[in-house]
Amino acid sequence: MGKKGHEIELAGGGVSRRTFLKGCAIAAATLGLSPEVVPRMVKAAMSPKRPPVIWLHFQECTGCSEALLRAARPDIATLILDLISLDYHETLMAAAGKQAEENLHNAVNKNVGKFICVVEGGIPTKDGGIYCKIGGKTAMEILNEVAPKAKAIIAIGTCGAFGGVQAAKPNPTGAVGVQDLIKGRPIINIPGCPPNPENFLATVVQILTYGRPPELDELGRPKFAYGRKIHDHCERRPHFDEGRFVERFGDPGHKKGYCLYKVGCKGPVTYSNCSVERFCNIGAWPVGAGHGCIGCTEPGFWDTMTPIYKHLPGIYIPVGGGIREQAEEIGKVAVGGAAAVIAAHAAVGIGKKIFSLRCSTEKKEEK
Amino acid sequence: MIRKEPRLYYRVFVWSGTLRLFHWTLAFSTFILILTGIYIHYPPITTKWAEFKPLYIMATLRYWHFAAGYFFICALAVRFYLFFAGNQYERPTDFLPINKRNLKSLIHNIKFYLYLTDEHECRMGHTVLAGTIYFVLFICGVIMGLTGLYLLYPETPLIAKAGHQLFGTPQQARLIHYLLNWFFIFFIMVHLYIAVWNDFNAPDAIISGAFSGSKMMPADLECPIEELEKIPFEK
Repeated sequence: MGKKGHEIELAGGGVSRRTFLKGCAIAAATLGLSPEVVPRMVKAAMSPKRPPVIWLHFQECTGCSEALLRAARPDIATLILDLISLDYHETLMAAAGKQAEENLHNAVNKNVGKFICVVEGGIPTKDGGIYCKIGGKTAMEILNEVAPKAKAIIAIGTCGAFGGVQAAKPNPTGAVGVQDLIKGRPIINIPGCPPNPENFLATVVQILTYGRPPELDELGRPKFAYGRKIHDHCERRPHFDEGRFVERFGDPGHKKGYCLYKVGCKGPVTYSNCSVERFCNIGAWPVGAGHGCIGCTEPGFWDTMTPIYKHLPGIYIPVGGGIREQAEEIGKVAVGGAAAVIAAHAAVGIGKKIFSLRCSTEKKEEK
Repeated sequence: MIRKEPRLYYRVFVWSGTLRLFHWTLAFSTFILILTGIYIHYPPITTKWAEFKPLYIMATLRYWHFAAGYFFICALAVRFYLFFAGNQYERPTDFLPINKRNLKSLIHNIKFYLYLTDEHECRMGHTVLAGTIYFVLFICGVIMGLTGLYLLYPETPLIAKAGHQLFGTPQQARLIHYLLNWFFIFFIMVHLYIAVWNDFNAPDAIISGAFSGSKMMPADLECPIEELEKIPFEK
């Protein structure tokens, strides 16, 4: 007694039962389930047959793995030791080279139809997929070898789900998400840059407990985590309704915690539970820290959510070698142009009328 | 100087009450939608006084925007109904350039508005140029209504599914919704100008027609007006 959870872990290895139960309870809460399912979850999670997980890395920055390593509840030790059997993870495993390749091969073929395949990173498809190779094989080859044998596939991060930053225009490597290549297996997208590890853990626990993936939305994202807009649960929402906005970063409104809508917050069009779940176990999240949401859980967010500090994307106008014009400016120019045309049209009409009047009076005078 | 029109005119009933109801519902709802929409898109600096008095201004204007949006959608539904059930001048076959007569009329309209001819085409219904632009506006209105509903109810399964298929993410729908807003502003400017311009340059009296539903037609023009209400305007 007297030792805290992490002290026990450090001293003796393993996880205290208390920490473990806490992890399951938090996963249940994230999923929006009643506490009554916690015992069931615990039972599923404690079964000696932990589901094997094979974690593939493709075009990515390992940020999603990093986020997972820093998950506070349940921590990575609980996850790896008690919930799943992480058989292959390029960043975390000790094996290297030929041994690592063998591990992957064994893990896949021993558990056909049983393992969960986690894909982190986009998959390049252009020129035969040569832009991402591991052990001499392209990402496409590895994915096609592993994914069809999985029980379920979890695409973690916006890259794995929708292609991410490398799929941004002009997408030089032809990067796509898992769902564009693999059909016929359940695919769960956990987008975000990085996604909240709790959403990933809750999804894994759901699959463990019920043997099926959670309810998904149109884009294959679990509804428990991506069912509502960030805006709907935002702590700055009252300022939005009240019409109080940050005009510039660092202005008095910003210091008072006003809404970040006018400095380009994408919360009104972004689906995620960031405003509820928060990050790192300390209640921190971007909007709380004074920066608008950048919409990282939405497909193609590098194209549709930029510029980050404006509401709407710029429009590409193929004039003068290509310029990006803000949508607003286009509208103003169009309406200004219309006004000018109307004025010119009216001037011509009036001019013409004056001219014809003068002609007719001249004619009368002649008569 | 008083210019006398040497012609005899008949006042002919063209626009049904339903069409006029559609027109004014659309006009007022569009007006409110544009004003509130511009606020919602880029709220002006109200923070100085928003701190002192609870105004709930964004929430209120959004509420008006949604309410006006419903009127807008209803107006479009009425117009859609009139495409099939309206009188002969309210149906697309009368004002879209789909046959030789209408195509000829379209070219003549363009010439008339470019001051290339002084001869005004006396036509019972919409001129073909106007009718075509109104039809484009109707399509834009439908897109506005659909993107608007998608942005308002993005969590409703059916709307979410349809919205994703048609427009992509809500952010993409928002961009479309915003850009078409400028088309409506553009249209209103041109529409009002052309209406006034026509009142100066043509004898139809279309501004009063927007209220009364009638048009002035030259009596010597051979028009199939027998079946319509024919009121002699001048004896």
